[in-house]
Amino acid sequence: MAIALAAVICLTSGYLLINFALPDSKPSRSLQVMKLSLAAGFGLGISSIAFFLARMFGTRHFVVFDIAVLAAIYTLRYRARVHSSHTFAAKNAMDFEFPRWLVRVLIAAFVFAFMAACYGSTMRAIAHPHGDGWDAFAIWNLHARFLFLGGSHWRDGFNALIPWSHPDYPLLLPAATARFCSYAGINSPMVPAVLGLVFAFSTLSLLVSSLFQLRGPNAALLAGIALSSTPFFAEHGAAQYADVPLSFFILATIVLLHFGSHLEPIIQSRRLNRCWTLAGVAAGFAAWTKNEGLLFLTALLFAFCLFSITKRSKNSAGEFCKSKQGLLAPAVLGSIPILAVIAWFKHSVATSGDLWSTPEVMIHRILTPSRYGIILRWYAKEFLRFGGWWIFPGTVLLVAFYFLTRGKDLSEGDPLLRASVTALTLTLAGYFAIYLITPLDLYWHLRFSLNRLFLQLWPATIFLFFLSVGRRAPLNFSK
Amino acid sequence: MPAPSAQPIRTTASIAFLILLSLLSSVWMIFTSPKPWHIEANSIAARSDKRFAAVKAHLPANGIIGYIGETCDAALPDYYLAQYALAPLVVDRSAHRAIVIGNFPDAPPSEISADLKLVQDFGNGVLLFAGKETK
Repeated sequence: MAIALAAVICLTSGYLLINFALPDSKPSRSLQVMKLSLAAGFGLGISSIAFFLARMFGTRHFVVFDIAVLAAIYTLRYRARVHSSHTFAAKNAMDFEFPRWLVRVLIAAFVFAFMAACYGSTMRAIAHPHGDGWDAFAIWNLHARFLFLGGSHWRDGFNALIPWSHPDYPLLLPAATARFCSYAGINSPMVPAVLGLVFAFSTLSLLVSSLFQLRGPNAALLAGIALSSTPFFAEHGAAQYADVPLSFFILATIVLLHFGSHLEPIIQSRRLNRCWTLAGVAAGFAAWTKNEGLLFLTALLFAFCLFSITKRSKNSAGEFCKSKQGLLAPAVLGSIPILAVIAWFKHSVATSGDLWSTPEVMIHRILTPSRYGIILRWYAKEFLRFGGWWIFPGTVLLVAFYFLTRGKDLSEGDPLLRASVTALTLTLAGYFAIYLITPLDLYWHLRFSLNRLFLQLWPATIFLFFLSVGRRAPLNFSK
Repeated sequence: MPAPSAQPIRTTASIAFLILLSLLSSVWMIFTSPKPWHIEANSIAARSDKRFAAVKAHLPANGIIGYIGETCDAALPDYYLAQYALAPLVVDRSAHRAIVIGNFPDAPPSEISADLKLVQDFGNGVLLFAGKETK
């Protein structure tokens, strides 16, 4: 009962925050699915922050914090409803045009791929109740135990005596787990297992429903098939690592930025685009999930600095944005509260990370050419084997699909799309730089992390791919 | 009659290719997943929470305790699992603490520091020592 209450508070706070930005007058079914997917992830992010703050202030009454945060979001939502509303101007006319039989095949294939992913993830979650891999219990679940069982001594878990548990890692997942355990009153391995599955399926449903809105059903189904059929995604969704939750927030950021370009504020005095504010919140949650999220946030800000200085901006439906609103200000505004919590955590709780050495050593590594060659080879190798696909790698499949379906490209002049791709590319480049300076054995580090770094960007990559491919000239079968 | 466009044929072929390879991958995922009729939960709970359940009752609620175990790299996971089981205590991999846990799942210890006094043997390779706090 208590855990159901925790879930209701979590989902309600997420849904209210999403409703702050996305229109709720006569929403379509796919928009509702999209809002629910976002609400699940945002709700977990909000409740993890509330629980962490309750711990920081040393109160045992975490429920009071939960309710205070819920009330604050409700007030925000209520005021937003009174003062303005948005209309949604998505165009899905640029979707692929398939004959009816092919659409039926697509639907059947999506249902099969989705069921297979559900089956694979659930079976793995049952077989690995404490997570599938060392990081699950040695980092994420261990931190959750300190937050839940530690009481006023919870900071002991972020101690330099146990550096292998990475006390500098952010706490979205551990704090969300500890919050549910606190409601339930027991330390159950079911909690992180279920949260992992929630993030995995929210990522999948967000990908499909957002593309349904922005492009149409055919592009959405193709994207859904591509992600559901990635065995590594389904496996990792049940692994209780933070990479799939991070992939959710990276995808949510990119999706909300693109939705923002479709929203036209009716009341012109409301200058901030709420979707972009929410995108900033999602990027903040990405940074609160893993340190790589901070890198993504930095890459995003840099890429969108370039976007914001572009004079004429088209949205991803190919239309010029009618309002000349800046993107950076609302996005930064959305991320600031979460960045403040992260700064507080890093400053007063976390120990320093293990990826930094002295400047001389780092410069020496940067100036070692062989390290570049090794990392490049691993990037190329991972591109070819990423995802654990059978027979043919999914990455190569998408590239082949791109060239085989190449039509007249209408995506020229869409700085938002280009900025999103730039942000993901810069994030990959940032990972490259981390490998360059890592004090750990380079081969070991690449072997045990590169596939997960690719996974973090995979759902957003599929989204941008089908957003871009779907927007090229419609392929009319009736000719 | 106009000649049929090559574009829809190429698109149909590429869609079919994408669907076929994706579905093969999904079938592969089903075959490699644990089977409902043969699920064996991994050994983490048995190697952590269950092994240390008895000794936990004799330990303080929080603070730092020491740890000794086998010294080879292969024994490192045993230490991680001990920390996982004993949280919110911090388990320092050192014998220089007032309370020290011994963890020898494979074989009994061949040599124990003279500074450590055995308080209780909980079986299954779990030992509780009194030590000298020097940190």
